[in-house]
Amino acid sequence: MVEIKFVPTICPYCGTGCGLNLVVKDGKVCGVEPWKRNPVNSGKLCPKGNFSWEFINREDRLTKPLIRENGELREASWDEALDKVAKKLNEVKNEDPNKIGFYACARSPNENIYITQKFARVACNTHNVDHCARICHGPTVAGLATCFGSGAMTNGFDSIEESDYIIVIGANSMEAHPLFGRKLIKAKKNGGKIVVIDPRYTPTAKIADKYLEFKTGTDVALLNGMMKIILDEGLEDKEFIENRTKNFEEFKKVVEKYDLETVSEITEADKDLIKEIAIEYAKADKGAIVYSLGITEHSHGADNVMSTANMAMLTGNLGREGTGVNPLRGQNNVQGACDMGALPTDYPGYRKVNDSETTSWMNEYWGVEMSCEPGLTLIEMMNAAHDGDLKVLYIHGEDPVLSDADITHTKEAINNLEMLIVQDLFLTDTAQLADVVLPAAGWGEQDGTFTNGERRVQRVRRAQDPPGEAKLDWKIMEEIAIRMGPDAHPEQFHYQTAQDIWEELREVAPSMAGITSDRLDRPEGCHWPCYSEKYECGPLMYREKFSHPDGLGRFQAIEHLGPVEVPDEEFPLLLTTTRILFHYHAATTRRCKTLDREVKTGYIEISEDDAKELNIIDKEIVRASSRRGTIDIAARVTKDIKPGIVNIPMHFSECAANMLTNSESLDPKSKMIELKACAIKVEKIKE
Amino acid sequence: MSFKVNDMAYAYSANNAIKEKGEYGGVVTTIMKYLLEESIVDGVLAVEEGWDLYDAVPTIITDSKDLIKSAGSLHCGTLNLAKILVKYLNGARDMKLAISCKPCDAMAIRELIRKRKIIEDNIILIGVNCGGTMPPIDTIKMIKNVYKMDPNRIVKEEIVKGNLVMTSDEGIEKGIKIDYLEEENLGGRRENCRRCNLKIPLNADLALGNWGVIGDIKGKATFIEICSKKGADIFNKVVDAGFVISQEPSKKGIEIRSKIVNTMLKQSSKQKEKDFKGTTGDILDVLKIYKEELSKCMKCYGCREACPLCYCEDCCLETEGPEWVPGGYTPAAPFFHLTRMVHMADACINCGQCSEVCPSEIPVSKIWATVNEKIRETFQYYSGINNGDIPLPFSEYEDSGSRTIKDKSK
Repeated sequence: MVEIKFVPTICPYCGTGCGLNLVVKDGKVCGVEPWKRNPVNSGKLCPKGNFSWEFINREDRLTKPLIRENGELREASWDEALDKVAKKLNEVKNEDPNKIGFYACARSPNENIYITQKFARVACNTHNVDHCARICHGPTVAGLATCFGSGAMTNGFDSIEESDYIIVIGANSMEAHPLFGRKLIKAKKNGGKIVVIDPRYTPTAKIADKYLEFKTGTDVALLNGMMKIILDEGLEDKEFIENRTKNFEEFKKVVEKYDLETVSEITEADKDLIKEIAIEYAKADKGAIVYSLGITEHSHGADNVMSTANMAMLTGNLGREGTGVNPLRGQNNVQGACDMGALPTDYPGYRKVNDSETTSWMNEYWGVEMSCEPGLTLIEMMNAAHDGDLKVLYIHGEDPVLSDADITHTKEAINNLEMLIVQDLFLTDTAQLADVVLPAAGWGEQDGTFTNGERRVQRVRRAQDPPGEAKLDWKIMEEIAIRMGPDAHPEQFHYQTAQDIWEELREVAPSMAGITSDRLDRPEGCHWPCYSEKYECGPLMYREKFSHPDGLGRFQAIEHLGPVEVPDEEFPLLLTTTRILFHYHAATTRRCKTLDREVKTGYIEISEDDAKELNIIDKEIVRASSRRGTIDIAARVTKDIKPGIVNIPMHFSECAANMLTNSESLDPKSKMIELKACAIKVEKIKE
Repeated sequence: MSFKVNDMAYAYSANNAIKEKGEYGGVVTTIMKYLLEESIVDGVLAVEEGWDLYDAVPTIITDSKDLIKSAGSLHCGTLNLAKILVKYLNGARDMKLAISCKPCDAMAIRELIRKRKIIEDNIILIGVNCGGTMPPIDTIKMIKNVYKMDPNRIVKEEIVKGNLVMTSDEGIEKGIKIDYLEEENLGGRRENCRRCNLKIPLNADLALGNWGVIGDIKGKATFIEICSKKGADIFNKVVDAGFVISQEPSKKGIEIRSKIVNTMLKQSSKQKEKDFKGTTGDILDVLKIYKEELSKCMKCYGCREACPLCYCEDCCLETEGPEWVPGGYTPAAPFFHLTRMVHMADACINCGQCSEVCPSEIPVSKIWATVNEKIRETFQYYSGINNGDIPLPFSEYEDSGSRTIKDKSK
């Protein structure tokens, strides 16, 4: 008789963190069914969630370790592969531990990520550990922490349903976070107004009450302009500013410079609409700002983020349901990856590396001697590799060749390494360049937790065994530590279950100390901050005070800078890069047959005006080039993008947007690179 | 005595443990136990409580000792078992199953039998009455916000005389008029349940429930109606084997049962009037009226995935040639829904799965029910009910030849 099991778990795609049931038939995952008891999505899913299971048992899953020999990857035993990795790590560690770097995997459970950062710090004695939040919501973490003292979403997802007025800027929720998009739809049904501000007339803009088109990368000018209007009209929340914030005067001085005329010139946005939106938001009882990568993925990403925080503070739209600054986190567990301390500056729970007391505490707890000197960020590691200053890069489940800006630069950097180790489910673009590839257990094959964008920690569950010889990540790390010898503290990597790892995290991170196993068992999961077992934790932050020691929010005086690279005669179009509904980031989704069938390859969106001028027709293969590279790609001629701006979804390696993007554009405040703005040209391909 | 089709009885389990845990005498669980122990079926497809009483999980039970897990009723059990049967159990082609089903499970199964996707001879439908089910998360919110009770402490929810009554583990009972809850949008039954017109699953082999059980056995026994020859055969066997004790139902009980049902059906008719107002029910008219709602469709395929009557392995919504609905564009072209409508609106049984999974809050189920109502009027085909020789409106023609076949099931 056939055996059927429903295993409740969390979707492996975006940061909304929807619950779903994996259906297991005779030990193999064979479908997804709604998990209506999950409070985030009530069983509803987007296409990615519905077909998420399709990649699990694919033929091309990695089932054996691979080692590069004579330029080719060949199968190897675990012993051979692990010995090789351990030997190299020891060799470089003895020379200089900071020549080793780690990328943690933001799609993997918290417990794996915790071990990755611990392995970097404890086994290899380096703080060089980071992950893709750097090029996603790094500016959120840096920017919101500066303003509010904590770098996360200020409200829960449900809170939006209560808003009177919602500004969605640089977020296309209906495609990128569809089940958050549902909350927008519900807010609208409840009588709330939705405004979408975006250079593209997105599916989200189409459901909005108002749409404001503006030029990519001019967010600071736009928001400053709106805030000047609010001040001029006397609509600021004086009481909130007085009692709950500081630095207002300095901020005001800068904002005053942004008169409507100047702002509309910079942003190319409609003056009347700018004014209307500013006034309506300020007048709303409960105004919320929602943003995503359209705000963060710029060389001034942190400035953009802080401008949204300024707006909310100026109008007192914080600490109440229906208000707040609501960044929608990217990867399913990118919030968790930050929380777990996969950051060169932070230990788990955002305890600072450069604080000597904290580092002493951690040194004593783990029995090691780490320095207070923060490590390198993601892009800095790649640049160090490029310059020959980083010798080993150990990548857990990320695909920087596809996802980082300027692929040529990334490949050069990787080729310059002495050893690249990739631990993944598939032979990704990055894994293809590795010296050692280790097959890991994936989603549905391991227990643990994900933390969604509203800081809700939820259990993910093992539904089937990993294929072939693939192993759990944290077990692989223990095996390597054992092989590296006593200096790598192998005893620090011995755990029986994923829950044991979580229990250690509770001791290390005070803000998660109260998240017990019992709490995690519930379908509601548990929100951090949660300082003790009795602590009542929920999604709403800053009810009475902010997380800075003095409890006050901090206004930031921010000037408009704009993109590093702007269109010129040779490269006249401004490229932005985006995600589409049917695929996810570095595209495990392309290995889901239904999603692949839906959208098989990439395209460049170009306005009807620009297409006409370039004599390009819909679906024609065109050549797109920047100072970094060239790709051939199908044109999608559309009314839904601002003339002068073109867009490429970033998922497709055969026509990769990141061949064109600019890696020399680090945000000084968050080390973000400009993924959403660079100058390109589009040409007809001559026969 | 020997029971036959259309007979009615009161019954309760002879097994004390089951009688305790199972509601109203534990007859469903006891029948399942008999079927498993006598190897009449290989397994029982039922619903069990997952994390709590708001979490309904389908399960296949092969050991009668495990049956106790599925005893009792879950008012938040909104899933449709036909989907599980057809998608993961190969339509019972290679196994014999007993299925505990509410009316819409039985309706979907009947449709799928007509479409040859489920093998009738391999299944036994043990039906249970249903006045409607409630969506888990909305219900939890309602208990918190409207009832002002702790959802974690609720042990029982039931509809008594028009009130939705919640009982806590401390014995606190609170009832609120279900009409009020539903009209004010505070909670209550799923939208499709409110217009459902099959409350007693007469399309199953046996229909069980507590309606009409009165007097001193109230709450301790089940009312049972024999709906098919197969059902009669099974019931006779469980009674003869001493698993279930039966007694003659009181006349008053039978009257009360039909009164309860009629009241509910009247409410459903009212709801339908409201739901179908302003449209002719023709496909094109409905498509036009719901254009704005449908324009939010994000093409998640959730309605197709959840629909128990969408069973195709290769779906024309995904074909590249001919291209029915171009890939990669959102909102999905109106043709997405038009295609599904043409394919299965005649079979739609108003089970509500589509609306429940829709991320864009499109009232999919209502839209389909509107069209199905028109089809019902036009072709007299009552989807999901075992209505003999009436051809499937979109799949079959009437046999106009002279042959006559006796219906052996009666």
